[in-house]
Amino acid sequence: MSIPTLQGLQTALSGLIAEQTALDTTGNNIANANTEGYSRETALLEPNPPLPIPSISAQTGRGAQLGAGVTVATITRIRNIYLDAQYRAQNSAVGAANTQAETLQLAQTAFNEPSTEGIASQLSAFWSAWSSLADSPTNEAAKEGVVAAGEQLVSAFNQLSAQLSTISTQAGEQYNSLTGPSGEVEDFANQIAQLNGQIKLAEEAGQQPNSMLDRRDLLLDKLSALANVTITEQPDHTDTVSFGDAAKPLVEGTTVNWPQALTEAAGGQLGALLNLTGPKGALTALRTNLDEVASTLATTVNQHLEKQFFSGETAATLTVMVEASEVQASGSKAVGGNEVALEIAALRGGEAEQGYATLVEKLGSDVRSAKDDQTTLQGTLTAINDQRQGVSGVSLDEEMTNLIAFQRGYQASARTLTAMDSMLETLIEHTGVVGL
Amino acid sequence: MSERITPAMVTSATLNDLSSSLASLQRTTDELSSGRTILEPSDNPFGASRVIDLQSQLDGLSSYESNAQDGISWENAASSAMSNINEVTQRVRELVVQSANGTNNQSDLSTIATEVEQLTESVKQDANTQYAGQYVFSGTATTTAPYEQGAGDEYKGNAEAVARSVGPGASVTVSTNISTLLGNGEAAKDGKLLDTLRTIVAHLRGGTAEDREALGTTDLKALDGNLETLSQLQAVAGSANDQLKAALTRNEGLQTSITESLAGVEDTNVAATSIAYANEQAAYSAALRAGATIVQESLLNFLQ
Repeated sequence: MSIPTLQGLQTALSGLIAEQTALDTTGNNIANANTEGYSRETALLEPNPPLPIPSISAQTGRGAQLGAGVTVATITRIRNIYLDAQYRAQNSAVGAANTQAETLQLAQTAFNEPSTEGIASQLSAFWSAWSSLADSPTNEAAKEGVVAAGEQLVSAFNQLSAQLSTISTQAGEQYNSLTGPSGEVEDFANQIAQLNGQIKLAEEAGQQPNSMLDRRDLLLDKLSALANVTITEQPDHTDTVSFGDAAKPLVEGTTVNWPQALTEAAGGQLGALLNLTGPKGALTALRTNLDEVASTLATTVNQHLEKQFFSGETAATLTVMVEASEVQASGSKAVGGNEVALEIAALRGGEAEQGYATLVEKLGSDVRSAKDDQTTLQGTLTAINDQRQGVSGVSLDEEMTNLIAFQRGYQASARTLTAMDSMLETLIEHTGVVGL
Repeated sequence: MSERITPAMVTSATLNDLSSSLASLQRTTDELSSGRTILEPSDNPFGASRVIDLQSQLDGLSSYESNAQDGISWENAASSAMSNINEVTQRVRELVVQSANGTNNQSDLSTIATEVEQLTESVKQDANTQYAGQYVFSGTATTTAPYEQGAGDEYKGNAEAVARSVGPGASVTVSTNISTLLGNGEAAKDGKLLDTLRTIVAHLRGGTAEDREALGTTDLKALDGNLETLSQLQAVAGSANDQLKAALTRNEGLQTSITESLAGVEDTNVAATSIAYANEQAAYSAALRAGATIVQESLLNFLQ
């Protein structure tokens, strides 16, 4: 039994084609070495079905199978979907921690403590002013001093309250702009739905749409920073995306279900924004506590006076009610009495001040633990991402090595072709002339 | 298969390390340049609330210090007025003793009476001593002079006390109720100094044997009684002054110790931080150098 004459040429050709495809794939990997979300690809090579030769040995009559070259089975992307799931869960936690830390840091900056301008200093200056008034109860300048210190204190409370309120409003606006029409959530969801459709078509045609899969995975990564996401891959290769604690899936096939209601339990940046401004959130607690300090201050000072010095129950509404001429250093006694001034000066270190110091301490610990969370979670995210990169990332050293291997393979296949060619030449040109 | 390391991983790790190194260097620089370790409450939450507390205590102490200083000045004004009254009263006593020995004729006694009248005015003048615009002997009616110059001897002030707060819960009464010494004059017949002085003048001018008799007996006795009251008032004022000075000394000690506590919580330990700074700087340069070397290398450098 014989081997087809041109079989060797076919085998060499299949090698050339396979090596060229592998080279092209390597080239594509190198080109995308720094592309965000790109997974390295590899050309999967398979041997061609062998050529059966029924009786290669004349003596024994046994047959054999002759290898018939190579073929490219598919070009596949190297990716670990379990790492993707881990990455996205961690990314939601990081998104929440970042938002928490950034917002509380803004609040901390607004408090401006410890400094000579913060409420603590103004409060201290206010008590000192009353103490000075006790030394000269009939002195107009001392009375002016009390009112001026009171007004500065009140304006420090008003300003801080306004700043905290702005921070809260901005958090609400940020939530609205992310979830609103043509916000990030809707934008990502639309792109994912569109890719779902394209991927389904490509898979039906028997192709593996690597670049579209990469793009969809990248969008899911970005979406996971906004809220928790759960991905279910359907048999038709579309992804069903559950988003936060929304009732219906955000993306189902090519359908987008948005807008939907979310709660604090949504996780990610959106969950954190809802939590901060929600009734139990850190920002709300700060504002409530500040209001309590303002109200305590007003009550403790006013109870020593016939004419109310402060009015207002909250930090925003606190105001000074008296003019310098109305400031009382004494109650029932003559003009030179100072017992009221002494009582008020003795409020130093009292309930209002302690309340404020506790508030600052609480804020400090909140910011600190938010930043610690941020650092820890970010560290884990980096570790997971490194693992992911370890699987999917392009290593230039590796690609260079592959490049050399495939280049050599191509050269060798070409040499095989030459050998086959010269073999056939011998057969055709140099075999003896017959019939002349 | 061993773990794959890609250049992207190396680059991002290098960048992370550099920025965290730079962040701690920046933090140390801030601590050194501001001189404080607590720049924000989150740096040390408990420390921040301690700083607020200690700073307020320190401000409070400086208030108490100026209260005590003010009290001392008040007491000084009152004491010097009372010393003057004492001198004047001693002078009157000498005159009374001199008048009572029987060697003076009526014209001499009238001259003495005129001098006693002048001395009485001078006592009232001393009683009207002011400190920082406040009458120190008027009780809390500090804008009213306690006595009018001239014939009327009625006390215009009140008996309420003026106090200075010199520490938490510690206050010192600085006012002296001068009416217990001077009284309301002859009309009141209260036997106080003004009444005594007016009676002496009446007896000097009276000219009868009873008048002369009275000068050496009841008047002298009343005057001695008044001097006794005066020295009691002076003693009380002196002890208030001592209390104020003691409060000042105590205050100084507290200020020193609270300032030390505050520095302990808040201030940068310059030596330790400078060493940390040097270490961090070295670490940062090393990270930069290593980063620059590793990131440049790849197989590409060696392929022909």
